[in-house]
Amino acid sequence: MPVFRLGQTWDPLRDLEREVDRMLQSVNLTFHGVRTGRQYPAVNLHEVADEYILTAELPATSPEDLELTIANGVLTLAGQRRDEGEIPEDRFRRQERPRGTWQRSLPVPERVLEDQLSADFHNGVLVVRLPKAPQEEPRQIPIKST
Amino acid sequence: MSTDSSTPSQNLALSRQPADSAGPPAERFVFTPPIDIFETPDGLVLRADLPGVSIETLDLQIQDNRLTLFGRVESVVPSDAVALHREFEVGDFLRSFILSDEVDHERITARLSGGVLEVELPRAAQSEPRRIQVNVD
Repeated sequence: MPVFRLGQTWDPLRDLEREVDRMLQSVNLTFHGVRTGRQYPAVNLHEVADEYILTAELPATSPEDLELTIANGVLTLAGQRRDEGEIPEDRFRRQERPRGTWQRSLPVPERVLEDQLSADFHNGVLVVRLPKAPQEEPRQIPIKST
Repeated sequence: MSTDSSTPSQNLALSRQPADSAGPPAERFVFTPPIDIFETPDGLVLRADLPGVSIETLDLQIQDNRLTLFGRVESVVPSDAVALHREFEVGDFLRSFILSDEVDHERITARLSGGVLEVELPRAAQSEPRRIQVNVD
């Protein structure tokens, strides 16, 4: 650590920025969240015995700004990323977080009870549970011969 | 006067819980969260996207001018669930920053809401010029 810093005017964050640059270069390949060319938000779909579970990471989204609709086997997620306060663009030293409105439609698996969907939103993670419809008994179809 | 690299580290831990001694298992993913940094009249504000991180699983600390954030993320999906479609991996978040002396380390505050960490880094007050007494042998 330098003992004397005579005649130097330190930009408060120059060191931080340099460090951030270095970090960014070293982690570009695994960079998460600002991947380009992908639909936002990224979603995962899992299956357990009695339901499907759809998950999406949606930080900086308030529940009021999030809208979920389902119709004709298509689940539509729409929302807005919003932070508190308007920050003028020229105040930013670094801006990596995505912002703005988004919408994404996904086909839901077959045999889902559309009217029994439930959604849970905690710590910026959305979890949508799609209960499976019970397996129907095979049904004989009468064949008419003319 | 020589600089001593082994000066005792000032440990201004902001952590809400003592750091676990056991590290994460090797197979866990670790991601670098995207951040914003912007200036305010009082200093700087850092925001990081940490979806899935809660107050209990966030560790934020300062050591030797290095601000480190580490957020643990547990999967919300049961471990026996079968993945049908996967666009993202669930993993922990880690990122660290070098703070200059211009940031008042003692007054750093942070809060976590909706998967976003906000850290306020207040500017340190300018120190007054100080006269150094010269002693004559």
